[in-house]
Amino acid sequence: MNSNNIKLSTRGLRKSFNGRVVLEHVDLDIKAGESHVIVGLSGSGKSVLLKCILGLLNPDAGRVWINGEDWSQMNEEQRLARMRCIGVVFQGSALFDSLPVWENVAFVLLRHGMKQTEARNRAEEVLEWVGLPGIGSKMPAELSGGMKKRVGLARAICHRPDIILYDEPLTGLDPVMADVILSLMSRLHEELQVTSLTISHNMNLVRRFSDRVSMLYEGRIHQQLHRDEIDACTDPVFRQFVMGSATGPIHIQGMMPRRRESP
Amino acid sequence: MITLLENIGALLQRMFLQAGLYPALLLKILSRMLRPPFFMRQLILQCEEVGVQSLPVVLLTAIFTGMVLALQSYIGFHRFGAESMTATVVSLSMLRELGPVLVGLMVAGRIGASFAAELGTMRVTEQIDALWTLSTDPVRYLVIPRFLAACLMMPLLVVLADAIGILGGYTISVHALDQNPTVYWNNTFLYLKEIDFYSGLFKAFVFGMIIGLVGCTEGFYCEGGAVGVGEATTRAVVLSAMSILVGDYVLTAVIFQ
Repeated sequence: MNSNNIKLSTRGLRKSFNGRVVLEHVDLDIKAGESHVIVGLSGSGKSVLLKCILGLLNPDAGRVWINGEDWSQMNEEQRLARMRCIGVVFQGSALFDSLPVWENVAFVLLRHGMKQTEARNRAEEVLEWVGLPGIGSKMPAELSGGMKKRVGLARAICHRPDIILYDEPLTGLDPVMADVILSLMSRLHEELQVTSLTISHNMNLVRRFSDRVSMLYEGRIHQQLHRDEIDACTDPVFRQFVMGSATGPIHIQGMMPRRRESP
Repeated sequence: MITLLENIGALLQRMFLQAGLYPALLLKILSRMLRPPFFMRQLILQCEEVGVQSLPVVLLTAIFTGMVLALQSYIGFHRFGAESMTATVVSLSMLRELGPVLVGLMVAGRIGASFAAELGTMRVTEQIDALWTLSTDPVRYLVIPRFLAACLMMPLLVVLADAIGILGGYTISVHALDQNPTVYWNNTFLYLKEIDFYSGLFKAFVFGMIIGLVGCTEGFYCEGGAVGVGEATTRAVVLSAMSILVGDYVLTAVIFQ
């Protein structure tokens, strides 16, 4: 990838499990400062794509470029060393149960030799930014789902990454907490101009947070649009997804039980 | 018929894939354990978990084993007037076999299960993935400290178990069976050789490796949510225990033949 403007890119990404193809020839370009959202049905391979980008899964074929470097050609240690430029917010927060909140948030800083008091101050600062001042000493088990999600966000941004990847950031949250998280994501995007890639099937998030949206369908990028083009899009698959309708070209096995099969 | 063969083939494939995970993880451990970064805090925490936290169960097992062994040996030897050999049997058995094997089985139950459950839960809740994204190698941070702690703490636990087991035998022989304390102490050490002590320590080290490797492998490569964690934990305990018993025979045969 020669373009300096492209922060994250994939070419020909393919991944299958036990012969079942989940991703097929996925090409993606995300520009610096862009907020890109990938939508798709449950099980369409969105999280697999994210894991392939992060190197948590080895793709069968294809390449991943981050900050102009070909990550698919790197070994584990080279990728680990560069991982600091990325922050990841996991669907289930993935906080470390054995560490207090502040150590979770400052994990990367402590790992890279920052003094404990300094790291703790930075963690408290970021926790305050996500609206959770004074909870640094608590353990993750003491937090609610929404608080965990915000701590996960704080952990992802504490070391000031260039790129943030969100995996289903609003899943499992009540509408109010979802709005809080979405506001934080938008603020982060506006204030720090961070490049972001978000996996979601929440259309509210797409409308409020995305610059561009890609729809993953049957393992491929089926549609790629600018946010303003969403409502004008006439593609029947994308329309069905946006409308959240059970009837349409999208075929899901066993989706609609016939009346006599209902329990 | 074809379906049956397919099922057998799939089962064998799963078994070989699972078996292949052990050498794969061991190779990763060995290739990374001598190069920085080292996670000393993690190692100390795990040593405390494996060593200090296992002390009550290990010492309780050892003292009662020593007591039962003394009682049984005394009853047996009494039949042909060789009661004085009780001390020798207790010390030899504790140092060569019972110390390492019983401590191994106890630690396999406690620590093997804990490693598998802890790492398995971290795997299914994406905490291991999170470590990776926080530029931390999960093998170095999670697996190596646990593996090393098991290898280092097992010999120490066995030394204590040997001592407590012998003390248990002494207590029963002297205070309940009226044996002469001085004669008992003399007979305890009379027939012991250095190799009896060192072979026990070596076995303990190998059993520590088995417990650490099996527990960590089962947890680290765990799949399938809560059910998967449960299965991994069960497999870790059963495989560790079986491997310790088989390994004990092999080591005994190699060392003493």
